[in-house]
Amino acid sequence: MNQQIESLPVLPIKNSVLFPGLLMPLTAGRPTSIAAIDAALASEDKELLIITQRDTAVESPGAEDLYNIGSKAVVKRMMRRQDGAVNLIVQGVERVVLIKIEQTEPYIRARVRLAPVPEETNTEIEAMRRAILELSTRAIQLAQPNAPIEVTQMLAENEEPLQLTYLIGSVLGLPVEKEQGLLEAPSRLDALRLLHSYLLHELQVLELRNQINTQAQGEMERQQREYLLRQQLRAIQEELGETSPEQADAELMRKQMDEAQLPEEVRKEAERELARMEKLPQASPDYHVIRTYLEIILELPWAKTTEDNLDLSHARQVLDEDHFDLKDVKERILEHLGVLKLNPTANAPILCFVGPPGVGKTSLGQSIARSLGRKFERLALGGMHDEAELRGHRRTYIGAMPGRIIQAIRRAESNNPVLMLDEVDKLGRDFRGDPAAALLEVLDPAQNYTFRDNYLDLPFNLSKVFFITTANSLDTIPQPLLDRMEMLRLSGYSAEEKVEIARRYLIPRQLKESGLTDQQFILTDEALNHVIGRYTREAGVRQLERAIGSLTRRVALRFAEGDTTPVTVRLEDLAEMLGPERFSFELARKQLPAGVATGLAWTETGGDVLYIEATLLPSGRGLTLTGHLGEVMQESAKAAQSFIWAHAEQMGIDPNVVRRSGVHIHVPAGAIPKDGPSAGITMATALASIYTNMPVRSDTAMTGEITLTGLVLPIGGVKEKVLAARRAGVRRAILPKENQKDLRELPDNVRAEMEFIFAERVEDVLAAAIPDLAQRLTMPKAA
Amino acid sequence: MSLFFISNEAGAAMAWRPSADIYRTPDGWVVKMELAGVRPEDINVLTSGSELFVSGVRRDRSVEEGWSHYSMEITYNRFERTIELPCNLDRASVSVEHHEGLLLVRVVLNQEEEQT
Repeated sequence: MNQQIESLPVLPIKNSVLFPGLLMPLTAGRPTSIAAIDAALASEDKELLIITQRDTAVESPGAEDLYNIGSKAVVKRMMRRQDGAVNLIVQGVERVVLIKIEQTEPYIRARVRLAPVPEETNTEIEAMRRAILELSTRAIQLAQPNAPIEVTQMLAENEEPLQLTYLIGSVLGLPVEKEQGLLEAPSRLDALRLLHSYLLHELQVLELRNQINTQAQGEMERQQREYLLRQQLRAIQEELGETSPEQADAELMRKQMDEAQLPEEVRKEAERELARMEKLPQASPDYHVIRTYLEIILELPWAKTTEDNLDLSHARQVLDEDHFDLKDVKERILEHLGVLKLNPTANAPILCFVGPPGVGKTSLGQSIARSLGRKFERLALGGMHDEAELRGHRRTYIGAMPGRIIQAIRRAESNNPVLMLDEVDKLGRDFRGDPAAALLEVLDPAQNYTFRDNYLDLPFNLSKVFFITTANSLDTIPQPLLDRMEMLRLSGYSAEEKVEIARRYLIPRQLKESGLTDQQFILTDEALNHVIGRYTREAGVRQLERAIGSLTRRVALRFAEGDTTPVTVRLEDLAEMLGPERFSFELARKQLPAGVATGLAWTETGGDVLYIEATLLPSGRGLTLTGHLGEVMQESAKAAQSFIWAHAEQMGIDPNVVRRSGVHIHVPAGAIPKDGPSAGITMATALASIYTNMPVRSDTAMTGEITLTGLVLPIGGVKEKVLAARRAGVRRAILPKENQKDLRELPDNVRAEMEFIFAERVEDVLAAAIPDLAQRLTMPKAA
Repeated sequence: MSLFFISNEAGAAMAWRPSADIYRTPDGWVVKMELAGVRPEDINVLTSGSELFVSGVRRDRSVEEGWSHYSMEITYNRFERTIELPCNLDRASVSVEHHEGLLLVRVVLNQEEEQT
């Protein structure tokens, strides 16, 4: 059979190789292919040559486009299709070598030589066969884990090694070049080796693919497993009667709610919210909004009240310990304590402390809380201009919080703290609303038992809260707000009071701050007075405390450096320790020219002495006013002028002077704004003095409002004004008659030192201030 | 992609298998094989031990000038069939006859053999 030469029609195929012994279905469409098939079928044996094309792109291949080795095949089945193509099943019979192409038209015909692979059997071939069987079994398992076991059995039964090689080679899906290589293998052993190497490579690829698949699958499975386990955990927890985190949370809240003694309305609302919360997953943002809300509700002291300390003598002692004097305020506090003793449900008062900075308003609030045994909370209102800051934002806004009032109550942890609203006169106001208006509700005992914060949206009873507001001046406080508060004035301190305060409170406090004892630091009275007079100018004691602080620090430094001898600070040491004197007294002018009168003014930092100057103008008419005067003060000046003109004759003023010359009033210092009616009589005095050309007494200062008919009306700030006069060295003061009662505010020594004239009418003032005029003024009265 | 074909008989992968009926007869066996269109001279019948070996080739001779296949289901070219019978064929008499496209192989066992 060997070396047989045959002539066969050629059917070139693409993308695969036909091995001897194997079946292959084919579809032929090319005319040359169909012609070749026809030729083969026309023969008795139905034989043709199946040979693989090198390049699949070539449509009508020539000899050079075909591999050299192919398979002789028999057509087993054949069927023509409607479109002219031919389906056939061929079976490879024998390997052949193409010797020569005999013709290419109408089909390729070639002369071939049969070239079967030589038969041989040895142990190496058998070993290779088994190795291949093993590898292919693994490959099948990897590629197709569910493949029936019969497939591998079928392979094993195939004892002919070459058939096995062809069979496995054809199912691996190898590239055409490799399949062709397998067909062209010169011996069985070569074919087996080749297949072995292909199988190894194929196996590696399969294993890698499997690994990737397994990894991806593993990742997916892990997530799925976690989810399943969580679900199971939940189910188990439910089965065991345990609860999920959300439920545990809700459970805890419910427990706290039972303990919190909430009012009925609050409790209902809280339970409604809690029910909503339970339905939400913990990851939902709403969950936390509701949670925060409930937490705040639970933290608020709906029913928590601290017990008041009703021991009056204790309260008095605490108040006296912390603050010097301030009799009115202390009395008012004690009164309230007395009321509480008789009627425990009494509404707390709403006080307003008005006074210059540094007089102890804030610390007084603290000691009130201490004397009553209540919690103290402070709320700075200065600069607040948004109503929502006081009353909170509605819960619909992100990050909404309750207002400052409710937050202060929450901090206080009791519903009856002393709540200090600091700087109520410095509330702002803009388009976002008026916080002062919100305060109206808070500070009205008739309304504040149902105070509704926007965030809470529940009524909270504020009627037990002891409200104290503080202000430096009442001018900027809206009238309705002012109405609701009980005003208590804390006026400035006199020098003697300051000495007392310094001795009792400031020096001990500063010594403690600096770590000194009272033996190590001694401040002489003389030096202390000098510090008060020359280094500070204030109604309160803040600057004074700072000055004392810098003295004690100086001494502390000396001690720290090793010099441990006690230090006594004397008057002459002050210049070195505190620097040059910062203020000099505005001392009373020794002699006043005609047209100048001494007035007294009230400022936020205490009182002051000011000189009002008037002069006649050689020409022109009317009144010129300078010195940055406010409207009220200007009107007051006009009233004074009209009064003097109207009574010119009585005072012996030349009518021609009044008719011909204008008058100018100036109030120094020109840059400081001034207002108010209390300089009325001073201006009248200055005018009377310039018109009559009689000087005013230089030791006399005056204050009081004037009317057109010459009445003298009362003014405020008597204490500060008198103290300022005394500080300046003036020892005689003219005050409105109705202010006589205010003198009891003054320390006894001041009252004793000063001479007071109480005036009902301007004539009284003029008589007391201008000695030369007194004669003329008393005459009509006598007549 | 190749479609593989696995023959029952190793080494005979390339040939087709004619169908066969096997009869038990009073004096031995008859094997009837469907071999239509095969000339008697193209058939070889061999025996070896208990095996009956039939092989040959079917050639398509009934084609006239101008015909061409429209479809084809009859398999041509080489065929092979080995049939194992439960007796020793070497001592039996084997005769072959053709009848209407069927090959009949008669196996008559001699008396001794049957007794044993």
